[in-house]
Amino acid sequence: MISRRMTLQAATALAATGWIGTARAADKVIKIGVNLSFTGADAENAARIGNGAVIAFEEANAAHAVKGYTFQLVKLDDATATAGQYDPAQAATNARTMVSDKAYVAALGPQMSGAGKAMAPILSQGNLAIITPASTNPDLTDPKFAQQYRPAGKAIYFRTVATDAFQGPNMANYMADTLKVKTIYILDDSGAYGVGLADAFQAQAEKKGVKVLGRDRLDPKAADYASVLTKIKALDPQALYYGGVGQAGVKLVKQAYEIMPNVIKAGGDGMQSADVLKGAGFPAVEGWYATVASPHVTEDPKTKAFSDRYFARFKQRPDDYTVTCYTGALVIIEAVKKVEVTGKPVTRDLVRDAIQGVTLPNSLLGPIEFDANGDLKNKIISVFKITKDASKPLDDPDAQYKYVGVAPMG
Amino acid sequence: MTSFDVILQQAINGISLGAMYSLLALGFTLVYGIAELINFAHFNVFMVGAMVAMLVLQAFGLVGQEIILTGLPLAGVLLAAFIVAMLVCGGIGVFMERFLLRPLRRVPGPAAMITTIGISYVLFNVVLLTLGSDSKNFPNPLPPLVFHLGGAVLRLREVLIWVIALALMGALTWFVQATRLGKAMRATAQDPEAARMMGVEVDRVVMTAFFLGSALAGACGMIFGLYYNLAKVDMGFAAGLRAFTAAVLGGIGNVPGAMLGGLLIGLIEAASAQTLGTAWSDVVVFGLLVVVLTVQPAGLLGRLAPNKS
Repeated sequence: MISRRMTLQAATALAATGWIGTARAADKVIKIGVNLSFTGADAENAARIGNGAVIAFEEANAAHAVKGYTFQLVKLDDATATAGQYDPAQAATNARTMVSDKAYVAALGPQMSGAGKAMAPILSQGNLAIITPASTNPDLTDPKFAQQYRPAGKAIYFRTVATDAFQGPNMANYMADTLKVKTIYILDDSGAYGVGLADAFQAQAEKKGVKVLGRDRLDPKAADYASVLTKIKALDPQALYYGGVGQAGVKLVKQAYEIMPNVIKAGGDGMQSADVLKGAGFPAVEGWYATVASPHVTEDPKTKAFSDRYFARFKQRPDDYTVTCYTGALVIIEAVKKVEVTGKPVTRDLVRDAIQGVTLPNSLLGPIEFDANGDLKNKIISVFKITKDASKPLDDPDAQYKYVGVAPMG
Repeated sequence: MTSFDVILQQAINGISLGAMYSLLALGFTLVYGIAELINFAHFNVFMVGAMVAMLVLQAFGLVGQEIILTGLPLAGVLLAAFIVAMLVCGGIGVFMERFLLRPLRRVPGPAAMITTIGISYVLFNVVLLTLGSDSKNFPNPLPPLVFHLGGAVLRLREVLIWVIALALMGALTWFVQATRLGKAMRATAQDPEAARMMGVEVDRVVMTAFFLGSALAGACGMIFGLYYNLAKVDMGFAAGLRAFTAAVLGGIGNVPGAMLGGLLIGLIEAASAQTLGTAWSDVVVFGLLVVVLTVQPAGLLGRLAPNKS
């Protein structure tokens, strides 16, 4: 396991060894875990998201944001090559690693709700707060499941994204009102994220009077979806909604394009990735809708300064979940700062309490403030449509996913 | 679509799946029939076949789905990819047999079988480390030609897959039935000791079985890529498990049995997706396997070699 873990980048490692300025040699090093799916289908997204944290803490360390403390980022990979994506068992191991080391005062991640479900109970017992930039399954912060995901009582799973409780239903509203969809078929990929998303979508679609012609489940390890798509085609729906991630999604995109090219197809943020563009490619991906459970800020002028710094550092542009991760990192920095000014030692218990009370009125995402469950008070879902732009790289999500608007709540 | 169209379409889907499972099942059955060994490396030899075919197609400048070829260039490119994939996979099979499994042939117990599992993981990780774990966009130069049979759709690639699978299975049957080496294979399958005494070079026969089985896996990898336009490092496990089941269902060691088993599993998979939902297809496929084996322990068509004690 040790070999999987590397410090995220040179600067923090150097800081830890006292290379950046001798004056800081006396600094206490506090560890922040960054748990994402760095291997397999979601690896590209993971790197892009994780770099949001890297830049935040690099800047904080450089600016001595918290007196007497240096942040050290530790990269924890919850995916395994065998699984080809996140593995809940690995996520649980990572959570235990962090909980058992007192130097960890907070964490960022995970990307995937399935990983979050494995980690949350362990983190709760250790009272270690984690801020997820991307996992959107509602159960994790739902007080109904508090027994399961925060057995020790306090909220430890915070989000800088909205949840599928909004991503699914808001997209159902968008499809019913804006796309005028009357009949739909719903698929999921049998993962925690996919099922939750599809369930929430289905409930709202039915409420809006969209006729749900059926619901089926894809096995992400299977290759062939032609049979189930043939069944769906025979029912002649206007639209297809898929709750799930890229592993089944890529195969679904390819086969759905051949079997039902003219059906409107949509998914959640699991379908917003370079992997989908690369694996399925044009023309199959053309016209797919995807949502992101955060405001679309990368085209917002106030994000430009951040985007330019990020580009200078990593030679690529941030995506929205980079910004949610960056914002999560800022929340942690702010919380540590709040603890430090009281003069008390920075411990994970105090950091957790501080995170609960942090307000960032002017973050890139808008006002950030958490409710008692760890959810954002301000929730926005953005809708994208894959539209080929031949002048840009065809596997670049920024270029090929066109922002088409906000999916309304209600 | 009328319900007849749906049935027809699902039959087309099922037969295409079945053709792939059959080709892959033949590799399990050939090796088992001759060497009494379940070759678990077969799963990933198939995956390597798909990757090699993809690299060959890419070497011809084909990337993604948007370059369409016709006529002679199409036939040439496809043939080249098939031949290279089959030769590379056949080569892996021969290497595996000659250097890794032959020394273990007289070792009792599961040593040889465990070795094949090891080889399987080596192949998996070599591809993982060189080509990565992401889904590859397998180039597909076939024209999007479509035949309409009522409401059902038959695509050129399905016809092509059936024709290629049939041709390969026909060639294999001819080889086993009509050539000298084929006769030697059948003799070895029945009784290796007696065959050796009659002058059959058993080593050569076993190597041939590995070559043929692995080459068919290579061809199947190429077919899989053309059919799904996709190749991925973990593709071998799901398809390989179905194919292995097909071999056992038909009667492992039995060549027509593997073909029948593959076809049946393909059709059952399509039928269960239509009626019960895809989540149930594994339950149906493997449940059926259990039932068949309970009633008919040797599989539907039984073993080719009845006694080898």
